Amino acid sequence: MTQLTLALAKGRTAKDSLKLLQKANIIFPDFDTKSRKLVFYNEDKSIKMIYVKAVDVTTYVEQGAADIGIVGRDNILEAEADLYELLDLRLGFCRFVIASLNESEFVPGKSYKVASKYTNVTRKFFQKKGIPVEIIKLNGSVELAPIIGLADFILDIVETGSTLRENGLEVVEEVEQISTRLVVNKASFATKTDAIQRVIDQLKEALEEEQQ
Amino acid sequence: MNVENVYARQAIIQRMKRRFTTYGYEEILTPTFEAYDLYAKMNGTVNHREMIKTIDNTGEVLVLRPDITIPLTEQLAKNNEEINERLRYFYVLDVFRQAQDTNEYRESTQAGVEYFGSDAPEADAEIIALAIHLLRDVRVNRFTIELGHSGFFKQLITQMKLEKAALAELIEHIQAKNTTEIDQFVKRHDLASDLQEVISALPFLYGNPLAVIEKANKLPLHASMRQTLTNIQKIYHVLQSYGIEQHVVLDLSLINHMDYYSDIIFQGFIEKVGKPVLMGGRYDTLANQFGASIPAIGFAFDIDLLLSGIETEKLPKKAPLDAVILFNKKEEQLGLALANELRNNDYVVLTCPNETKLSDEVEATWTIRCLDDRYELKKGSEIETCATKEAALQLLERKDVRNEP
Repeated sequence: MTQLTLALAKGRTAKDSLKLLQKANIIFPDFDTKSRKLVFYNEDKSIKMIYVKAVDVTTYVEQGAADIGIVGRDNILEAEADLYELLDLRLGFCRFVIASLNESEFVPGKSYKVASKYTNVTRKFFQKKGIPVEIIKLNGSVELAPIIGLADFILDIVETGSTLRENGLEVVEEVEQISTRLVVNKASFATKTDAIQRVIDQLKEALEEEQQ
Repeated sequence: MNVENVYARQAIIQRMKRRFTTYGYEEILTPTFEAYDLYAKMNGTVNHREMIKTIDNTGEVLVLRPDITIPLTEQLAKNNEEINERLRYFYVLDVFRQAQDTNEYRESTQAGVEYFGSDAPEADAEIIALAIHLLRDVRVNRFTIELGHSGFFKQLITQMKLEKAALAELIEHIQAKNTTEIDQFVKRHDLASDLQEVISALPFLYGNPLAVIEKANKLPLHASMRQTLTNIQKIYHVLQSYGIEQHVVLDLSLINHMDYYSDIIFQGFIEKVGKPVLMGGRYDTLANQFGASIPAIGFAFDIDLLLSGIETEKLPKKAPLDAVILFNKKEEQLGLALANELRNNDYVVLTCPNETKLSDEVEATWTIRCLDDRYELKKGSEIETCATKEAALQLLERKDVRNEP
């Protein structure tokens, strides 16, 4: 039997992803978020799951260390990895937005500072708009940057927008809708097509059930 | 790299060279230093920033061989506007690139072929069959060749009249088989319904070639795209005659970043390697850039990527030495004379002067000790004595211990 390695993103969407996998009959009996174990097997051992940091999922999958991965589109876009993005799992919904404290639009000819955890997404977005910006990479609490004058704008993911509001920031523009996706290594898709297709079909079925 | 790895790598390369030769391909070389101008005027091939450049003493900018197909085609096109014969070449050469974001220099060995002078489906199939034969030779567990067609997608985009940025976005989604994003894209760009249908179907045009062609033919395709499908079908039928069709899938959403591919393209995947170990395709229009018209198809393996996917126990192993000869100063002449005799007959022989005991690291089929007037030859528990070096040679030949070089 072909064994598949699945990289699952820790954090925000892990619980919902596992719930969906369970509905698709892919169950990891010894999984526990509190455990320090990083490798788990499903009941018939056809799938080996590795539980890794969300930003690393695309790396594991692109390099072929994992055949498939479950991760947010925010990380996929930032990684610019060469892989298949075969299924929208319709969970972990959020948005990439540009927000600011006192700027409400981009004035042509002016140059801005933008703080973000997602520097590639930021660069691409402003390149597309033709606005020159200086990008400042931050690893957390990005909302702070405009407040203390480190940047004019931020690009970040928001779910409800409450963190922005509490810090007095307003959304200037929406960049992209985000949800959790199933990604697949291109070589694995070619050499283990049937096994991967089976997982996709199972997940699709579970998603359809959910919709009803 | 340790000696075992070097041995395995060279042995694999030798095996591949032999295979190319059995198909009647001849080895060819291209220079290591090339004029930057050759690549500077070409777009959509090698990324200009990835090339490693240097300047000669006249101020001319040179690059270290970034590609092999381009200089070969240029050379051929310079001397011939057209060719009437069929030229089959192979090469094993290093190409040099500089990774764009890491500033890391990368030297990779490519083993590949170019077949000039035929645009027939039989030529395409021969090239694909050769690639599959090589993958079988190196004993990888599981491999798949993905066929695609760069013309199919190019014909589709000429009907769409998209802006450059939008097209780049669409290509990105198609390469990721990202149906969610593709569906949104076609809605956003208000494309004709025929085109919408074809683009949305692209990610699913993957699998058994005949089934994919049948599925594709049900779509509202342009006549030129149907012709393309017929061409792929012809190639597939020849692959059936080779008896290798089970290794091939068709992916009509396959897009190669090398712009020079004009028709069939393909890539090879093996287990446990995340990237294609071989890439190739037909590039009938490349010679046009040099003022000639020469149909051509080729492919190249990335040797180190290929090696990384072969299990250690399946890599070629170095054979033990044929013989070790131990002797003291007194018997030096005897020992060296025997060594010479055996080496002239292609035996792999290690001499150990002033040693009477074989060290543990040395592995040899025969251990030969030189005594006053005779040689003592030991193989396992079997011991034989010979009076002369000729007799010793005869004994070895009789026992047929020779390892394949």
